[in-house]
Amino acid sequence: MTGFIFALTLRQLVFRRSTLLLLLLATIPVLVGIVFKIGESNEDPERFTVRVLCVWLAVTTVLPLTALLFGTSVIGDELEDGTVIYLLTKPVERWRILVPKVCAAWLMTTLLVVSSIAVSSLVVLGGDAGKVILGFGLAAAVGALAYISVFVMLSIVTSRALIAGLVFVFIWEGAVSGIFEGVRFLSIRHYTLGIADWLTKVRSDVLDAYVSGATAVVLSLVVIVIAVVYANRRLQTVEIREAT
Amino acid sequence: MASEARAVELKNVSRWYGNVVAVNDISFDLGAGITGLLGPNGAGKSTLLHMLAGLLKPSNGDALINGEAAWKNPDIYKVTGFVPESEAVYPFLTGFEFVRLSARLQGLANPDAAALKALEEVELMDAKDRAVGGYSKGMKQRIKIAAAIVHEPAILLLDEPFNGADPRQRLRMMEMLQRMAADGATIVFSSHILEEVERLAENVLVIVSGRLAASGDFHEIRRLMTDRPHTIRLRSSDDRRLAAALIGQESVFGVEIEGEGLTVQSSDLVSFAHVAPSVARGAGVSVFELSPTDESLESVFSYLVQR
Repeated sequence: MTGFIFALTLRQLVFRRSTLLLLLLATIPVLVGIVFKIGESNEDPERFTVRVLCVWLAVTTVLPLTALLFGTSVIGDELEDGTVIYLLTKPVERWRILVPKVCAAWLMTTLLVVSSIAVSSLVVLGGDAGKVILGFGLAAAVGALAYISVFVMLSIVTSRALIAGLVFVFIWEGAVSGIFEGVRFLSIRHYTLGIADWLTKVRSDVLDAYVSGATAVVLSLVVIVIAVVYANRRLQTVEIREAT
Repeated sequence: MASEARAVELKNVSRWYGNVVAVNDISFDLGAGITGLLGPNGAGKSTLLHMLAGLLKPSNGDALINGEAAWKNPDIYKVTGFVPESEAVYPFLTGFEFVRLSARLQGLANPDAAALKALEEVELMDAKDRAVGGYSKGMKQRIKIAAAIVHEPAILLLDEPFNGADPRQRLRMMEMLQRMAADGATIVFSSHILEEVERLAENVLVIVSGRLAASGDFHEIRRLMTDRPHTIRLRSSDDRRLAAALIGQESVFGVEIEGEGLTVQSSDLVSFAHVAPSVARGAGVSVFELSPTDESLESVFSYLVQR
């Protein structure tokens, strides 16, 4: 039963216009990598790949934006246009609706972000890109699940989930965690970087994450569990008003 | 011995949004057959159906399906189908996929066969392989009904189901609902169109401003609506003379001359319509205009509320 909802959600995401925009966004690290490769830069290719392509572009920009658009749409859009009625008026427990939707959004986000990381790293590092792709790929997959869980929850809690998500990504994780270091323990971006640092084992002058790998994994799991459990609770009491 | 639970029951149900009362202390219970919720737009019919469908929590009272609370109870959907008023569907699914999804979520043993049967019921077999996003409004109504009846529910709730359907489709849908009711289903549908309710429902609940204004047999309610006082506006070549002639008629109990024209209060619109031309002719007055001023459904409903 959950498989049908998973397949339905994947089709919803594929047919969204914004998916094309996200696909273009995911190509930006690749294009930047090509420019780096063509140009004669003196910068260390590994340092450039990690700091610019993976950290700044993939983890800081492509990952949260992709997760935001997919995460807030899988249930939020259905609540807004009323199609969720066709799922909610069935003898199906609400978590069986929620979980496949989270999984579908996670899969799409992970596919886009990991592809972006893999292709852009290969462009710059060639055969030496293995550990960067593996480390950042796995970290991005964990980060994507954490972001998606939070954004799906936001879309059930508020009709302004997109704005709330943008505030979280750019104000909280971007500005506030840049000023107050302690806030990084409440930042999915920093969990992702912590896991990537742990798995890639690159030099500390290339990547030195604030949150350690093990802590990042634990905190990511805590965020995922809290967000999904709370989203499920809210979905059980979500009210659908008549068409206006 | 405890009495058997009715299929659909509301017990002192109210629902408000902030300071706005959408449904105000409504109670009724329904068994097998077709019941029409009749009322003007914004009367609270949809809110009521949404509470029965477990999609809205009553602010007060209980909305029950087979004796069980509808709110936070997914089990009611095993025996209940709901057709929303909203046109929204999954536009990328074909008609068949849309109905089959419903069958699968109902956990039916053979979803494909159930979907085809439901599509046949609503006469959409020809369009079953087309994406529902390209369906007309009437077709969307029918595909939503097919999705709601795919598990052959004992209770079917429909919110303005005939919107957008052409007269032929409307007739076929009514025949289908009558067949379901004859087989023992409890069907509740909302409409703001008197004629729809008249043709289909044996039992009527008139909802106005969130309150239950009248309930019972349709013909009784129709009689109340017809027998109410009517106001008719006339313009003639000599309003004063016409007023004097009309006041003597049995069906007229008040005449008022105001500006250009006169307003007549009548207890029987049909009789008045019969006698008015001959009375005018007898008085040597030409009538330029004769129009009932309170024939809108809203004014009819208001009268029922004030009774």
